[in-house]
Amino acid sequence: MPEQERMVFRAEINGDEVEILVRPNQTLLEVLRDELDLTGTKEGCGEGVCGACTVLVDGRPRRACLTLALEADGSRVLTVEGLAPGRELSPEQRAFIEHGAIQCGFCTPGMLIAAHDLLRRGTHPDEAAVRRQIAGHVCRCTGYAKIVEAIAAAARDQEADHA
Amino acid sequence: MPESFRLIGKRLPRIDSEAKARGRAVFAADLRFPRMLHAKVLRSPYAHARIKRIDTSAARRLPGVKAVITGADTAGVKWGVFRYTRDQQLLPTDKVRYLGEEVAAVAAETPEIAQEAISLIKVDYEPLPAVLDIWSAMAPDAPLLHEDHPGNVNVHVAIEVGDLEQGFRDSYLVREDTFTAPEDSYFMTEPYAAVARPGMDGSLEVWMPNAAPHQKAKALANALQMPLHKVIVRKCYIGGAFGGRSDVFPAEFMVCLLALRTDRPVRLVYTREENSLATRKGHGMYVTIKTGVDRQGHVLARDITCYLDGGAYSSTGPIATSVPFLCHEQCYRLPAVRFNGYRIYTNKPIGGMYRVHGRAFASGIDLQLDLLAQELGLDPLEMRLRNARRPGETTPTGSYVQSCGLRECIRAAADKAGWKDKYGKLPPWRGIGLGTNSVQTGFPLGIRGGSAATIKFNEDGGATLISGVVDNGQGNDNMLVQIAAEVLGLEPGDIQLVSADTEATSNDPGAYSMQSTFTGGQAVKLAAEDARRQLFEVAAEELEAHLDDLVAAERKIFVAGAPDHGLPIHKVIRLALLKGKAVVGRGSFAPKVDHRREWMKNPQGQLSETFSFGATIAEVEVDPQTGRVRVLNLVLSQDCGRVLNPLVVEGQWEGGATMGGTGGMITEEHLWSADGRCLNPTFLDYRVPLAVDVPPMQCVFVDTVDPTGPFGAKEAGMSVAMSAAQAIAAAVADAIGWPVFEYPLTPDRVLKAIREKQEHERKASA
Repeated sequence: MPEQERMVFRAEINGDEVEILVRPNQTLLEVLRDELDLTGTKEGCGEGVCGACTVLVDGRPRRACLTLALEADGSRVLTVEGLAPGRELSPEQRAFIEHGAIQCGFCTPGMLIAAHDLLRRGTHPDEAAVRRQIAGHVCRCTGYAKIVEAIAAAARDQEADHA
Repeated sequence: MPESFRLIGKRLPRIDSEAKARGRAVFAADLRFPRMLHAKVLRSPYAHARIKRIDTSAARRLPGVKAVITGADTAGVKWGVFRYTRDQQLLPTDKVRYLGEEVAAVAAETPEIAQEAISLIKVDYEPLPAVLDIWSAMAPDAPLLHEDHPGNVNVHVAIEVGDLEQGFRDSYLVREDTFTAPEDSYFMTEPYAAVARPGMDGSLEVWMPNAAPHQKAKALANALQMPLHKVIVRKCYIGGAFGGRSDVFPAEFMVCLLALRTDRPVRLVYTREENSLATRKGHGMYVTIKTGVDRQGHVLARDITCYLDGGAYSSTGPIATSVPFLCHEQCYRLPAVRFNGYRIYTNKPIGGMYRVHGRAFASGIDLQLDLLAQELGLDPLEMRLRNARRPGETTPTGSYVQSCGLRECIRAAADKAGWKDKYGKLPPWRGIGLGTNSVQTGFPLGIRGGSAATIKFNEDGGATLISGVVDNGQGNDNMLVQIAAEVLGLEPGDIQLVSADTEATSNDPGAYSMQSTFTGGQAVKLAAEDARRQLFEVAAEELEAHLDDLVAAERKIFVAGAPDHGLPIHKVIRLALLKGKAVVGRGSFAPKVDHRREWMKNPQGQLSETFSFGATIAEVEVDPQTGRVRVLNLVLSQDCGRVLNPLVVEGQWEGGATMGGTGGMITEEHLWSADGRCLNPTFLDYRVPLAVDVPPMQCVFVDTVDPTGPFGAKEAGMSVAMSAAQAIAAAVADAIGWPVFEYPLTPDRVLKAIREKQEHERKASA
């Protein structure tokens, strides 16, 4: 198998300007995990079903396992590592911890990105909207109850802050 | 006066959740090492075939390939959980016995080169006739998977207690029904991965999701023929287990072998499909239950014959065959009972321990009780209460039940669910059902049944806790720290945990059979009490107080009732150090079980020191046009002893009920092609519940305190997973007014039951 020619991939990842050479067939997930050591984003199925690899590309949730890195060339990418600076916690991270929404933690990065996307839109989600937002994310530990609680609580806190 | 605790019983966030929330938690597939190689596996395309020849020469010649291994490169040691079930070569030399079984593995500079090399390996197979279900496997002329097991019977567990014939003769009503369900699967979100790194001192470090690091290390040491202390299973975060990480797999054996061959770190990451095919799955089950009851509904006799579709190898076979029966005999009073459990070899992936332990078995027992109750004109709730286990009783196979809040659970769940107002009064196609079950807290494991813990202090008053208990995601790390902090008067953040690392930690049986809190937690509590006694000795002298008057709280040791008459713990540690004493607490604990008990040869004697009990009530709605079942509500209740951390326990219940009930009973099943290929090994086709499928769930705590559990705690979660399956089966039968005997409750099966009912009504009115 001849080594494919590498191409330049430039992106703003979690606020950092990144410029590296990637193979044209490398997925965004592979580049994040294997080239940039951002292993917070997980591969649970590799076919876009489980949601564990969800990241934001230019503000939109994307399955990193189904996205070629070069498709995200020139984009802003947000992964779980970029939700809060340094050792700080974002509102959704804090809510997940306080509400017991994290068990094994493997689905957590994707769930948090989905939660962040919902909160960022500031649409005052009801419980059904929260459930719809995470309906593309498999969690096998929690039965989703505490994840839904956590996201709903974070949304309420956000509204209270803005009130 | 009730005991008061600072931390026990509080809704404390878990200590591991921040690392997981920040994407910092390292799972096996996240590990990277300098010069690390990547492994891929060649798998059998046949369900059953003789391996005649394997040609790896072209693969070896591919640039970037560093090692290729086949069965010929192994010591040929067979793996089995028991000495008498050693039937699996971790890389086979003679035959492959299921489609997907490991045949060869490659380590190369990149995953792509490894995959390319796999495609260059030529295997000459002689395909053999395969058996893909229990009936063809048991047919007189069936091909044998293992020559020494005639009829492909892998395990036969036979139990008979009491006078069965007399019981049936005395019965007012007798029913016999058969319940079936195909295989279900774990679908833990993390696909399996294993990493091995050779050390400079002849040791080998290994990481993989596991439920028992010490058992993995022992099995690997055997297979690699290395001393146990040189095989070091390290801790990593683990993405769920549910029974599916308890056993030893070829994956870790292959990466170890490849790492030793190349003297470089090697990582193998399974695809989702490999995780489904080549780790473990649940057992398919066919169970016939005959039950006799008196006029009041008391069970007098029960005869159960159960066949489990075991797949190609034994795995935990004797345990998996027994546990469904044992859970049930713990839960219900049975004056006379007979159990014949057969685990049958088939040319399919290997069956393992699955959280619900057979939907057909658990649901069959309860649904049949409902049907008997109906014939007697009894409320199912009353039927369960009459037969429910009480504390102080002994199970048919001789386990004393030291604590049991089953009847309290049933009543509390019924109150919460509004059973009285709903049962028999719901609108058409709505139903309500009750499930009850019981779970062990561990079982006899001989020299590996105990857990040990150590606590050492630093001069600033902080402590390091060392325990062999592993956390699969259920919260064991937090449980250990919470217990130690409570005893020592520290905050959870004052304690650094070293756990599940076979180099550093003493033996622990593992996080399966629901024993971690009872066994490992107890060892930690004893270690903390030992350390606290040492702190008290130093403090008592300094404070001129009596040992028995001292307490540890708020990072201080002080005289009870006089918080000002005390010393900060860091001062106590420094006083001890000045005297040349290091405060090191030790604790070890092994549950009181009967070590003569054996799964097949002697299924008699104390199985676990204690048992937990659970009850779930489900409300469902059935669409009579489509046969679709919607779960409307679940009320969950369990006697898990004292609830150490309600936040964690609720999470266990909600997750268990979703996996066992809302998913397990409604959508989850494996499908197979005629040549033994699993048709739905991925999330695309195997439907696990999503957030939009899950109903509201209410958790009802029943206040029981186990006499010997740590702070009175027992198992939490599994009996809810099981009883949720039972409750949904009962609720669907209530909704359609007709029992469904085949699970899961997919539209085709539900519509078939509705048609049976209509047919029955037509005949009755004709």
